[in-house]
Amino acid sequence: MSSLRDRLDRLRAHAASVKEAEAAFREAAESSAGADARHGSESAGAADTLGAQETERLQDALGAQSDVRVVPESGLPDEAAGERTAGQSKAAAVEQGAGERLTDALGERLPDRTANGLHPALSALGVTEVAGEAGCFLRRRAVYPLEHRHGHYVLSELTSGAGRLHPIAARQNRAGRAAVSASDATASVQERIEAHRLLFLDTETTGLGVGTGNLPFMIGIGYVDHGERTFVVEQLLIRHPGEERAMLAYLLGRFADVTHLVTYNGRSFDWPVLTSRFVLNGWRPSGEGPGHLDFLHPARALWRNTLPSCKLSRIEEDRLGIVRSEDVPGSLAPELYMRYLSDGDGSHLRGVYVHNERDILTLASLAVHFGGLLEGRLGAQWALPSEPEELYRTAAWLEEHGGASHAERLFEALCAEETQDGRWLLPAAARFKRLGRLEEAAALWERAARHAEARLLPSAEAHIELAMHYEHRRRDPRAALDYAERALALLQRRSSLRQSARARAELEAVRHRMARLRRKLEAAIRSG
Amino acid sequence: MNPLTGKAATMEEWLDHLRGSREIMENVTHWHTLPARPARTAPFPQMLDPRLAAALGAKGIETLYTHQAAAFRAVEEGRHVVTVTPTASGKTLCYNLPVLQCLLTEPSARALYLFPTKALAQDQVAELQALADAMEVDIKTHTYDGDTPPTVRQVIRNAGHIVVTNPDMLHSAILPHHTKWVKLFENLKYIVIDELHAYRGVFGSHVANVIRRLKRICRFYGSAPQFLCASATIANPREHAERLVEESFALVDDNGAPAGEKHLVFYNPPVVNRQLGIRRSSVLESQKLAASLLRSGIQTIVFARSRVRVELLLTYLQELTKREFGSKSIRGYRGGYLPKLRREIEKGLRSGEIRGVVSTNALELGIDIGQLQACVLNGYPGSIASTWQQSGRAGRRHGSSVTFLVASSNPLDQYLIQHPDYFLGMPPEEARIHPDNLLILLDHIKCAAYELPFESGDTFGGEKLVDLLEFLAEEKVLHETAGRWYWMEQAFPAHGISLRSAAQENFVIIDMTDGHRVLGEVDRFGAPTLIHEEAIYLHEGVQYQVEKLDYPEKKAYVREVNVDYFTDASLAVELKVLHVDKERESPGGAIVRQYGELMVTAKPTIFKKMRLRTHENIGSGPIHLPEEELHTSGYWFSFSEEEAAARSANDMQSALLGLANVLVHLAPLHLMCDPMDICVVPQVKAVHTKRATIYFYDRYPGGIGLSQRLYEKHDELLAEAGRLIEGCGCLSGCPACVGPIEEVGLLGKDLALGLIQSAAGASQ
Repeated sequence: MSSLRDRLDRLRAHAASVKEAEAAFREAAESSAGADARHGSESAGAADTLGAQETERLQDALGAQSDVRVVPESGLPDEAAGERTAGQSKAAAVEQGAGERLTDALGERLPDRTANGLHPALSALGVTEVAGEAGCFLRRRAVYPLEHRHGHYVLSELTSGAGRLHPIAARQNRAGRAAVSASDATASVQERIEAHRLLFLDTETTGLGVGTGNLPFMIGIGYVDHGERTFVVEQLLIRHPGEERAMLAYLLGRFADVTHLVTYNGRSFDWPVLTSRFVLNGWRPSGEGPGHLDFLHPARALWRNTLPSCKLSRIEEDRLGIVRSEDVPGSLAPELYMRYLSDGDGSHLRGVYVHNERDILTLASLAVHFGGLLEGRLGAQWALPSEPEELYRTAAWLEEHGGASHAERLFEALCAEETQDGRWLLPAAARFKRLGRLEEAAALWERAARHAEARLLPSAEAHIELAMHYEHRRRDPRAALDYAERALALLQRRSSLRQSARARAELEAVRHRMARLRRKLEAAIRSG
Repeated sequence: MNPLTGKAATMEEWLDHLRGSREIMENVTHWHTLPARPARTAPFPQMLDPRLAAALGAKGIETLYTHQAAAFRAVEEGRHVVTVTPTASGKTLCYNLPVLQCLLTEPSARALYLFPTKALAQDQVAELQALADAMEVDIKTHTYDGDTPPTVRQVIRNAGHIVVTNPDMLHSAILPHHTKWVKLFENLKYIVIDELHAYRGVFGSHVANVIRRLKRICRFYGSAPQFLCASATIANPREHAERLVEESFALVDDNGAPAGEKHLVFYNPPVVNRQLGIRRSSVLESQKLAASLLRSGIQTIVFARSRVRVELLLTYLQELTKREFGSKSIRGYRGGYLPKLRREIEKGLRSGEIRGVVSTNALELGIDIGQLQACVLNGYPGSIASTWQQSGRAGRRHGSSVTFLVASSNPLDQYLIQHPDYFLGMPPEEARIHPDNLLILLDHIKCAAYELPFESGDTFGGEKLVDLLEFLAEEKVLHETAGRWYWMEQAFPAHGISLRSAAQENFVIIDMTDGHRVLGEVDRFGAPTLIHEEAIYLHEGVQYQVEKLDYPEKKAYVREVNVDYFTDASLAVELKVLHVDKERESPGGAIVRQYGELMVTAKPTIFKKMRLRTHENIGSGPIHLPEEELHTSGYWFSFSEEEAAARSANDMQSALLGLANVLVHLAPLHLMCDPMDICVVPQVKAVHTKRATIYFYDRYPGGIGLSQRLYEKHDELLAEAGRLIEGCGCLSGCPACVGPIEEVGLLGKDLALGLIQSAAGASQ
């Protein structure tokens, strides 16, 4: 085998050059996709998620939050454990494989270990070892009283707000994507969303994408402990890949009684990754799996055009009143874990713990925020968004989510807006047209037409809508012809710069309309 | 022949007419006739599901050919099977029959089909689906490739009985996501690999490793599928299947399909300039023959070796026959046409609506275009196997067919056309792979580790796995815990590893004549010579001029024109030695050999405007484009000053060329690679060594270890070259040794042998 060894040595040189190329590739990938790549290569929608975020260092963070208890397992009797694993979860998407008895780590009373044998940096964070039938892993537990404030919101608002989230869940967990009708708001008991049956979840993984080689090394979960009136964050960590099975078995136990996973891009990233890990470890998917409340989708719907990105950190800062300072960017987590793997120094992971814990808390804040929106707090307890674009998007989002009456209020406010920002005018007008409220639509088209004429290369959509409106609705061919003529002038301005088949078709359609209107006018003159 | 229409009633009549034409027969160097072969059939196997028998009956199939029955039997016995029969012998039934039989009795069973290209996959799905529909059973066949929409993917993963895909997709999309394919892998009964011969050389070595990974995943899910393979004619089908799949195979090669009489006509264009020995252009002669066939109503396929030749032939043929046919009945076919257009042409050929087609070797593979009556090869396709494959496009089960091999003026073509027995006596080429090539193996071990951790005791390939795993752990690619090796890098390894050498990125050609319309595409290597600015780009016989080539964005903007010329770009290829890693001198000092890094650059310099039909040069222009670079590893050896001084420069040239031609044959044999994988370049006075030198380099960016192994086997290689030349029965050179006389001269054989011997003598 010496010859093979020799050849391997030679390969080393080659490998080094390949490594360089790979590093360059990674860099390129990261700079182009940002942290996006981490979350979901399969879903194009996975664009902006966790990225560079900033928070205080753990010590500061913990120091500042005097109401938090970080609890080593030995100190806190874990009553929740027994309850949660009493029944096998209906919701859990994975069940035990043949012969794989899932007596999870929690079912029996855990031998509470002290921090013996743990790296001191981890012990200092309150991390303890959990041992069960499937093996050992590490857990850190932080317990927040529900009165804890995270940015604008207090965690206790979850209990009232969660129930309002139903329209989001209904939209995300239904096969077709039919709009949610108002009747959905009166959900049946089973479908009702209760705060204590939500599991907030965020994973930190060793790589990108949802392939089988991407390993979640830290799984952060959060849940409301009804009885204790606390919000518990648990962070599960494996010291090496061999501990994965034990961690997953524990996680399955936590799925008991959970109806929905609350995530940020979990539908296309965290959940597929976890499903893959379950399969690799011998469990087989069965049934539907837990429901999803993936907040990336509503966040995009609301803020796509008004925030520079929909990264969680951006939303925290600009909309939830949370300031992160000195945060370890999520994209660094894999590298920090690999350092930990190679030297066993737990202090590498401190930043990852903080980051992950923040994400879990922010998911809770988002739940309160979206719940509040659906409850109709906007314009009542909460101030309206300052930008009309966001106001429009919020109104449209509420309308799609069964909040027609709340949306109506927002649309009214929107129509009263006097602003230079006109992007929302046409879609808003289209909404009124759809509802058959043509006069209101026409008023918006008139505004949009004024906007268009002030622009260098305008769109003629508003003019064409108005030409139709005046021709068919108001029966005023003269006004209609006037709008059609102006539309033609606008279209010609554009087409002088860019010829395309579509532009030609549009021009043709307007000319056709004008000819018809002229005939109508002539007929009118002749007959009368 | 009908005196009014000039049309022949039958192929026989046309051939008789041809035999009577002195003008043509003067140029025919050989007329080979393969007699008709009757069908040999076997009844449907007794166990064949009645629904399947009925569906076949509805298609007019009442019995099986003997090879189909033999394949069915072997599969039922549980053996892995490789079937080798010519084009259009009903090869697909050899694997479809046992697969469908199984799916009818066991609806939870699954089958995976691999084809080298997407187009082949789509044909297959249509055929299978038609059979399933005829049986009125719910057997779902789906293609899974880069074009499959995400919404459909989910359905295929769970419910597709037969998943049809390609090795690249398996490598980068299915295996790394195998947890989404639990249903498939747990129930996988059959893996069908068609066009087995396409998996050779470096590509084949990659695919062999993908198959190792596939088998490993199957084991994880507890399945042990049977492999059903089919191949075009190659010299070593069973051995090739066994190397590729690493299982023992049953060979089915007893072709029972009938064939009509087949004529193979060797045609050498007439000499037009005796002094210079210049022959008439093979393009114009091919066009003449094809036009005559088409006018007689004979459906004809013309193969040409380059894309430009395809378009030129198409233009000429469409013009020549435009009185008889509309322009839609003679079509071109090549890579670069958009898939939709290709499907349309294939369909037209099958229905007979399209009477003639001019194609590159893109139609060589098993795409279903029905059987044509005549085939014209413009130039020798480059290998015996390809020649038979292309010629197999013409040939019906009943009635005669004809293939013309029209020689170009290149020495190899001239040799073959004058020595037809050499061609007819040669077996087709062997398919060779070397899956344990360390670089390739290591790449796939990475992919495999990503898919499932390795455990101590596992095996993968022929090298000692533990050493490779430890190496990867030291490199921090894997992490070892308790005898298991886990993937521990952020990257997704399959993305950085391409199974094929050709760059996958294409230039899109956009026609701006009327709005913006995507016309076609050109691969990266073709771009500099085909779509440089001012180039005339021919597409389906229509001329377009390239107005702008946006190199970074990979887009060429063209506009339709009507000019009487085409363009021909010159490419300056340079070979630069960047770094010498190893050097050794032969004992007597006659030869110095080196191994190191090379940079091969290709830079388009100028383009010429060539008048249509006469091919005279009527102008030229510069091309401003960056160089294309291939940074690779190479091995070269050079002869001492004394050796050079011992012979004239001309003789050295012939000797080097002859030696290089021999090494072109030998190197792939030693490396178990494809001749296309490695380049051999002789230089009488090389820039780097200032001496007569022969270079070898890997045609893969970064190198793939081929020239390194040659460097180590240098002495053996040269000794064998000497033995081969000495042992060759030819008089003074042939394509099997130093090359035809036309290339290396009358003394080429002796000179090459003399050079080897004197270099070896110096070391004694």
